[in-house]
Amino acid sequence: MYGRKGFKLISELDLYSDILPFNVGCMIEALIKEVLQEMQSLYDANVANSNAIRNDNNMALLPSVQLRHIALKRNKRCILAYIYNRMRKLKELRWELGSILPPEINTNLINAEVQWFQSYNKSLAKYMRSLGEDHGFNLTTNMVPPKTLYVEVKCVEDFGKLELDDGQVILLKKNTYHLLPRSVCEPLIRQGILEHKKYVSMEFPSYEQETQTIQLRSIKSDD
Amino acid sequence: MFVENLERGFYRLVKHDRCLLLVNFDVDAICACKILQLLFKYDNMMYTLVPVQGVQDMVRAFEENCEEVKNVIFINCGGTLDLVELLQPAESVIFYILDSHRPYDLCNIYSEDQVRILGKPDEDDEIPEYNDVFRDDDSSDENETDEESASDRSQTKRRRLNEEDIVKRAGRREWSEKRATILFNYTQYSYYGKSSAMIIFEMAWSMTKDNLDMIWWAIIGSTEQAILGKVESRLSVLEEGFLQAHVSRLTHKKGAEVDKQQQQQSAVKITYDKDLLLVLYRHWTVEDSLRHSVPTAVSLRLWSLRGEQRLKGLLADMGLPLAQSKQRFSAMDLALRQEFKQMVEKLAGKYKVDTIIGTSFTLQYGYKFKYCASDIVYAMLALIESSSKTKLPQGCFLDALDCLSRTKKDILESGIEKAKLMLKTVFKTAQTILQLKEIRNTGSFLYIIIPEGSAGNFIFAHPYPLMMLAQFTLKAYVDSSKNRRAPELPLVASAVYNAEERICIMIGIPPVCEDQPRSLFGRAFEQAAKNTNSYIDADYFDSTIIRLKIEERPKFLDALASLLA
Amino acid sequence: MENNGDVQMTAENDDQEEEEVTAQSVLLAIEEAWLNEKFAPEILPHRSDLVDCMLQQITHMEENMKRLDKEDLRLMIHRMELDRIKYVITNYLRARLEKIEKYTIHILSQEATRSSEECYLTVAELQFAKEFLTNIEMLFKTIALQHMPGNFQTFEVDTLTVKPNLQTYVFLRANDRINGIIIPGSMDEEIDLEPGSQHIIQYSAVADLVKSGAVKLI
Repeated sequence: MYGRKGFKLISELDLYSDILPFNVGCMIEALIKEVLQEMQSLYDANVANSNAIRNDNNMALLPSVQLRHIALKRNKRCILAYIYNRMRKLKELRWELGSILPPEINTNLINAEVQWFQSYNKSLAKYMRSLGEDHGFNLTTNMVPPKTLYVEVKCVEDFGKLELDDGQVILLKKNTYHLLPRSVCEPLIRQGILEHKKYVSMEFPSYEQETQTIQLRSIKSDD
Repeated sequence: MFVENLERGFYRLVKHDRCLLLVNFDVDAICACKILQLLFKYDNMMYTLVPVQGVQDMVRAFEENCEEVKNVIFINCGGTLDLVELLQPAESVIFYILDSHRPYDLCNIYSEDQVRILGKPDEDDEIPEYNDVFRDDDSSDENETDEESASDRSQTKRRRLNEEDIVKRAGRREWSEKRATILFNYTQYSYYGKSSAMIIFEMAWSMTKDNLDMIWWAIIGSTEQAILGKVESRLSVLEEGFLQAHVSRLTHKKGAEVDKQQQQQSAVKITYDKDLLLVLYRHWTVEDSLRHSVPTAVSLRLWSLRGEQRLKGLLADMGLPLAQSKQRFSAMDLALRQEFKQMVEKLAGKYKVDTIIGTSFTLQYGYKFKYCASDIVYAMLALIESSSKTKLPQGCFLDALDCLSRTKKDILESGIEKAKLMLKTVFKTAQTILQLKEIRNTGSFLYIIIPEGSAGNFIFAHPYPLMMLAQFTLKAYVDSSKNRRAPELPLVASAVYNAEERICIMIGIPPVCEDQPRSLFGRAFEQAAKNTNSYIDADYFDSTIIRLKIEERPKFLDALASLLA
Repeated sequence: MENNGDVQMTAENDDQEEEEVTAQSVLLAIEEAWLNEKFAPEILPHRSDLVDCMLQQITHMEENMKRLDKEDLRLMIHRMELDRIKYVITNYLRARLEKIEKYTIHILSQEATRSSEECYLTVAELQFAKEFLTNIEMLFKTIALQHMPGNFQTFEVDTLTVKPNLQTYVFLRANDRINGIIIPGSMDEEIDLEPGSQHIIQYSAVADLVKSGAVKLI
């Protein structure tokens, strides 16, 4: 049946929330190739048929040409949707993790995507630089409404030295605990290096006292 | 120097800069740290908290983090060491010590500025006078040059000695002899002072920044000291009264504020009530709890076969069906649960287990969260010591820290399960030791060596389970021994620390009769090591815990025996 | 964010009277713009005037705060306030970028019909949108389109356009009195809005009023 492969491509998107490997001779690449092949053969058949229609005025072929045409369109749409949604995920990562992608993501991308990511970075940087007077204005900070100036964080991964706005240097080592300015921590919390702890006062107990762990949708461990 | 007014001499000073908190692996330290963290959070003070397990750990943590840190706060660590000598801090760095280990190192006490000990000196500390221990700079300089020259050019020098010098030298010799005795007396015993959590809570109180959470943590800190027998029971009782006053004050204050919101008031409640001092009984079965609580286990001699019968007898006397006693307490019939306290109370006299009737603090939070202070202490102890190959000790420390937050009930529950396992292993091991009569008596002290290789024994590589085992065995031994001198004997326990490197851990605990839990093993271990020329690793902040090579253990114990004889 | 007036005033002791008033009103205006942008399905005319002004204020306040003593209670409050303002601005701009990225083609084609005075996007936003579109086209082409047969290789702008759903319902509060809004979908039903009154209504009916500032979305 036409278009089944294309549909499979789309359901892949739904099955995995992560960016799956694209380049290494894996399923997806093969799948896309198959869809493209299908398109090619459909197209060839259509060209042959429409020639037949034109030359022999064989109108009986018309419905099958139309059907193939729709299948072709559908396949194209599926492929583009697949690419578009991968791109959307990449874009989210840009906002979550910053301009440098972790290697485990990078290896899953094909060249064109890496290039897209870089150009997106460039456009975004250009846009952010244009804001404000001289230094620009970073839109990737202050992602969540601020509640306190400082946050209690637990370091869950070795990070190394972190410089604060006022020049102080702090060593972030696994299994240490810190109270740090929120603005500095925000990106690190998103990257999963720090874990945010929330204290619930006894005086004002609330029903949503689950420790609010702003956790990055884990990149590796989802599978 | 001592800082008695913590608000002025400590809190206000550290407020300006980022602090480094070095916290020892013990429950009291974690509680103190938790209170401090909350205060810091209120005042937006940045800090870095690093858990430290031993001296080496502490030195490393300091070196890694000392950059641009002006204030270093040591919680239950460092007080007994000459910190300035050990860590070589920059001059601007100030050390604040909050340590319940005693005795304090004299250099810390007499440091003019750089080292500040939080709290008052204890009344019975008997800290030597400055002049008795230290000489002013010029004289010590002279001393050195004297000695140098004495060795270098002794002959020429000796000729030139005049009478004045001789008098001076004699004086000096007398002084150093006296100094040695004073120092010996001062450092002879290792013991514990007031709970650090209490000290910090008092500071929070004096700044009127205290709340129910803080008092709860202070309660846990001081409960740990009581459970592990770190302080004499008289002091614990006094502290309980003090804590209770605070609890009622805070509860009252809160009640007045949110009178309208009855719901909120019932959300969190700390109560101080008559209770049974049976381990974890609310979360265990009655039978297990009776078996693993030290007072009942010792009085009923539960390690023997007859003991088991006695336990059955007690349960029958209480009128508690066997099936019920093997259920989780929370799943027992409501009527039985309500009567349980009275049933035990009635029979306590008959079975000589009066000590299990006491009082305890209980925190209730919502409907499902009800724990008494000792439950949490056991859970935290088990969590602290739950490190394994896959889990770093520091991670365990943070788990124990989390266990104090009311919102982390799952961690607390896992801690309680671990605690049950720990208590079971302690009991089983003690049972084997007692049944096989493996307690050796050297005449001056008792010792036990936990056999290698049996399952579950790896937990005795950690100091707290080993300490609990030692205390249990000692009490059981004293209770059952015909030896009239038994209550006066201290006990040494040793277990494998690292089987591959052939290292064992050894701890010494004071005798049962001692009212004040002072242990002389700290010094004795040191001396014995010197006498046998063996290398001991005294990395723990508690000097009565050491590590040494297994092959050197027999020799070491011999030396210890002759030393204490 | 009510205490803004104080913050501004203390932070700019040495400024002229006029500026104090405007700083406050600019903040209120930008908050309104932010909420409108947040709740409107389509992109609204940009308010870069407000953003620029507020960003200037932020730099200014930051300078002023450096002079305050570290222990000063006001410092804490100011910093908190500043963080909040920054959040509003970043969130506002992010909301716009999100719309631009989602409705790129639609927005660009609409924008092409507007004169430079009445354009909805700022210069930088426009450039960003154009680059975004080129990048997507590039991506599609290199991965898939160029491998497709014959006339399927084109980047069909029409079929790829995503349009905002203007029929969605919004909450609003009227700023001024407005007469005779025709309820979409009905033949001749009209309503009048009293100042300060709140309504739920289809966005398309009030889109112009939102843009003119006669109502605000909440």
